[in-house]
Amino acid sequence: MKDSTDAELVVQAKLGDRQAFGELVRRYQGAAYAVARACTGSHEDAEDAVQEAFVVALQRLEECRHPGKFAGWLLAIVRNRSRNLVRREKLRMAEPIPLDAPETSRGPAAEAELATLRQDLEEALAKLPQVQREIVLLYDLEGWKHGEISERLGIPSGTVRSHLHFARKALRAELSGWKNHEEAV
Amino acid sequence: MMDREDRRPDLSVLDPGLGDAGYWERLRAAVLAGAAFELARRRETARASVTAVLSSWSRKLIPATLAAAAAAAFLALSENASDQGEPQPLALEDVLDEGAAEGLSWTAENAAASPVAFMAFVEGHGR
Repeated sequence: MKDSTDAELVVQAKLGDRQAFGELVRRYQGAAYAVARACTGSHEDAEDAVQEAFVVALQRLEECRHPGKFAGWLLAIVRNRSRNLVRREKLRMAEPIPLDAPETSRGPAAEAELATLRQDLEEALAKLPQVQREIVLLYDLEGWKHGEISERLGIPSGTVRSHLHFARKALRAELSGWKNHEEAV
Repeated sequence: MMDREDRRPDLSVLDPGLGDAGYWERLRAAVLAGAAFELARRRETARASVTAVLSSWSRKLIPATLAAAAAAAFLALSENASDQGEPQPLALEDVLDEGAAEGLSWTAENAAASPVAFMAFVEGHGR
């Protein structure tokens, strides 16, 4: 399954192949999470949106006209579900995701520092336009290349580079108090 | 020289898998659990489609196969019936192919069937 193309996996998933659909989830859950996080601004909502989006994508798989471009199509669904979820979020109490609590080996002080950095980073990201949030998360968190972002988000490559440049610049300005928040490419 | 503004910011703190190696596998399992019903529905639909196609084929194939079998049986019976009639005169090709010229008794009737038979008949009467 790992060697199969997206198009092949989509065809198999249409027939109800659990392994094929599972491989699509494995490939794109990180990107879906990055986009959902950019839209919702919170980890819990992003998780919800990712789970919803994959199930909706499976239900609407026949609408994916170009199975080779599954990723871009999926991310559009993630974006829509995230926006809907944010709207709904205002009306309902958030329910916890039934995932086990993570076990960490860090000490309380390190955990507290990470939590603070995470909060500052989230606040800095929240000040960016959504498209810049998506691009910087897909590039710097998920590790996608300019070309992949361009193709899958339907944005010209030059625009992707420009958004990335300005997003990084803004993040740097917001997080200037943190010494180790960047690394050389 | 690298532009300071184009250096990669470390966003790994936002990665829920940071320090929790099983996070992504659990999320994947949760997605698959949520998709289980739809996957089962699709499998069932695909199975029903295959069955429908096969049964539609069988509806057309079975009568066609029966007709072909009946025609073949009829032809076979017809050939058997014709094999049991009087022996047919040998043609030149049959004689050459089968080497059956020796031991045949030639008559005026069957000598007319081929040049070889005719010549054998003439030579026999000339001696």
